[in-house]
Amino acid sequence: MKRKDTVKLISADEMEFVIDKDAAMVSQTIRNMLTSPGGFAETELGEVTFPEISAVILEKICQYFYWALQYSRGKETEFHIEPELTLELMMAANYLHT
Amino acid sequence: MSAQKKKAFQIEAFKHRVVVDPKYAEKTWKILEHAIHEIYNHNASGLSFEELYRNAYNMVLHKFGEKLYSGLVTTMTSHLKEISNSIEAAQGGLFLDELNRKWAEHNKALQMIRDILMYMDRTFIPNTHKTPVHELGLNLWRDVIIHSHAIQSRLQAILLENVRRERSGEVIDRGLMRSITKMLMDLGPSVYQDDFEKHFLEVSADFYRLESQEFIESCDCGEYLKKAERRLNEEIERVSHYLDTRSEVKITNVVETEMIESHMHRLVQMENSGLINMIVDEKYEDLGRMYCLFRRVSNGLVLIRDVMTSYIRDTGKQLLTDPERLKDPVDFVQHLLDLKDKYDKIITSAFRNDKTFQNALNSSFEYFINLNSRSPEFISLFVDDKLRKGLRGVTEEDVELVLDKVMMLFRYLQEKDVFEKYYKQHLAKRLLSGKSVSDDAERSLIVKLKTECGYQFTSKLEGMFTDMKTSQDTMQGFHASHGSDIGDGPMLSVQVLTTGSWPTQPITTCNLPAEILGICEKFRNYYLGTHTGRRLSWQTNMGTADLKATFGKGQKHELNVSTYQMCVLMLFNDADQLSYKEIEQVTEIPTSDLKRCLQSLACVKGKNVLRKEPMSKDIVDTDTFLFNDKYTSKFFKVKIGTVAAQRESEPENQETRQRVEEDRKPQIEAAIVRIMKARRVLDHNNIVAEVTKQLQSRFLPNPVVIKKRIESLIEREFLERDKGDRKLYRYLA
Repeated sequence: MKRKDTVKLISADEMEFVIDKDAAMVSQTIRNMLTSPGGFAETELGEVTFPEISAVILEKICQYFYWALQYSRGKETEFHIEPELTLELMMAANYLHT
Repeated sequence: MSAQKKKAFQIEAFKHRVVVDPKYAEKTWKILEHAIHEIYNHNASGLSFEELYRNAYNMVLHKFGEKLYSGLVTTMTSHLKEISNSIEAAQGGLFLDELNRKWAEHNKALQMIRDILMYMDRTFIPNTHKTPVHELGLNLWRDVIIHSHAIQSRLQAILLENVRRERSGEVIDRGLMRSITKMLMDLGPSVYQDDFEKHFLEVSADFYRLESQEFIESCDCGEYLKKAERRLNEEIERVSHYLDTRSEVKITNVVETEMIESHMHRLVQMENSGLINMIVDEKYEDLGRMYCLFRRVSNGLVLIRDVMTSYIRDTGKQLLTDPERLKDPVDFVQHLLDLKDKYDKIITSAFRNDKTFQNALNSSFEYFINLNSRSPEFISLFVDDKLRKGLRGVTEEDVELVLDKVMMLFRYLQEKDVFEKYYKQHLAKRLLSGKSVSDDAERSLIVKLKTECGYQFTSKLEGMFTDMKTSQDTMQGFHASHGSDIGDGPMLSVQVLTTGSWPTQPITTCNLPAEILGICEKFRNYYLGTHTGRRLSWQTNMGTADLKATFGKGQKHELNVSTYQMCVLMLFNDADQLSYKEIEQVTEIPTSDLKRCLQSLACVKGKNVLRKEPMSKDIVDTDTFLFNDKYTSKFFKVKIGTVAAQRESEPENQETRQRVEEDRKPQIEAAIVRIMKARRVLDHNNIVAEVTKQLQSRFLPNPVVIKKRIESLIEREFLERDKGDRKLYRYLA
């Protein structure tokens, strides 16, 4: 049960982020990983490794997930992005279908 | 962040991945191909979604989308070929199971493949206008499995065989059927239609054609309809269980055409059990079933309605021309009402109160009631009977019910003025003889007539009621002023009737006995004393009298008789024996009335206060009459039959008709003048049409009569013919 509620995201430099499943599912890609039938390794273990995303970016992504959840519930705030992260974040967003 | 992900950006691959290994695409594809194999072999649990997704993602980013896509097609096709072989190998009944199982597996695999190739689905496929992965999987399944030669025909045959087995009462695996048909629907509506539905409908049509032929030879109509209904419900149920809902209309159409439409004439006309028999035997359930089933096919209801209408018309016609029935008007009208009730009940309980059926019923009744010109008279007689005795001791609601039914018949009448004429006569008799059961009922009927036909129609009838009321007051006044000087003499009660409101009666006088004459004079003086300028004449033919008589053994009786009878009996105060001639001379009662009154005094058993010599049924001029001392009766009060309202004899009827015709003339003329005044110029046919329309609520004017009236109006210079066009009439102001 516990594993169902949270999910562990691992960055390229092996930093682990444990976040709520709800938040992770903001990403369409992660959602598919966790719900696709047939039992992929990610669904079984409840952890996803991203060998192409650095910890800095993944952290920002996790922040974004929570921000997006709140935003969708009607709390309209700004999401701040440091300019130097912009490009990499965008590429990750394309990858994660966010 | 999604806001920043605009299409305008050209997304570049991750920098560190730019090292393009020529073998890179091949290697990556191998990984993916392997994964697809594993998925089909149910070995996916070891695979990393992220790795596969990333590989597919990178392949698309590095412009190897085409390779990825075609690889997918090839791999999937080869897997489906294997599956196809394994399904073909399945034996007999296991075939469907195998097909269903493989389909479920394929679906799951397809889902997984689509998920890992999602990036391709999202970017590469829309850009290159290729079929999305999921649809591709379905199409391949359709082409490789369902349309494979060995499977296609076998699948069809098995499905149809299952339906056939179920129709003949066997139990089949509906869940499996449902999954299979759902698979066909998932593959696209055209697959379901071409590979299954089309054949299904054809086979069903054949099946029902044969079966209905067999049924119609062996069953009666009711039974056949039951079977047809059951089949129809079975098909609807079948659709709800394992076919596409859109098939319902199609398959029910097949059943309707084969089982109902192609046999409906034969069913309706089936001997001993067809529509007519159902109506006669009041089989509401069967009729309801027939209605529901026939409603489904075009012309079905029209057929029922036509057959029913012609049946009602025929039976109605028979009823109206049956001389036995016509002997008793009350019974006759009651019969009509019963008939109407019966059809009403059929329509409400079996034909769902269908408006068109009600209209058909109404027009049929209107048609045959007016076939007999005496219908208005009979209806009035029926009301008369009800208001005299039929409604005694009946609750108010029931009275209203009867009256409403009478009004319903009245509505069917075309010659409403004839009804009015008779009704007036009968009402007059009821009022004058005080025989009406209930004043409220009388008034209620008049109100009904008024709402139906307007004020004009009932104004005279209402006048009659007013006269009755004023007469009561007059009599009270008379008794108050003269009560003392009358003393022991006879009591008098007078109804003063306004000429015009009441049916005109030929004034037939008779010589009243002296005792009565005296008091009549007193009343005349009293009345003319209060109302100057009026004329009173006595309608002796309408009155009644109560006489006290003492018979031989000293027993006393009170005799309730008509005025004429009273005159005759009073003569026997002074004589024991009188000849017919003597009576006629003294009383001067008109011959026919006298004969009738003598007949009721001498020839009716139990009421024969007079004796006739010689004894016989009829009165002739040579008869002699004696006072009957031996008369006995159990009752103190004896009512000697006054001649109650009866159906008219033929000559009387003719006379009434003629009077009605006479009354119609001024109405027609008035209508013509009204119309011409408004139109100024009109041609003959239009006048006839408009006059007919205006007078419809009262009667149906005969065009010939209208023509005569026009001619008469031309003679009297209300109208003239147009000089150029002889068909045109002009109104002369």
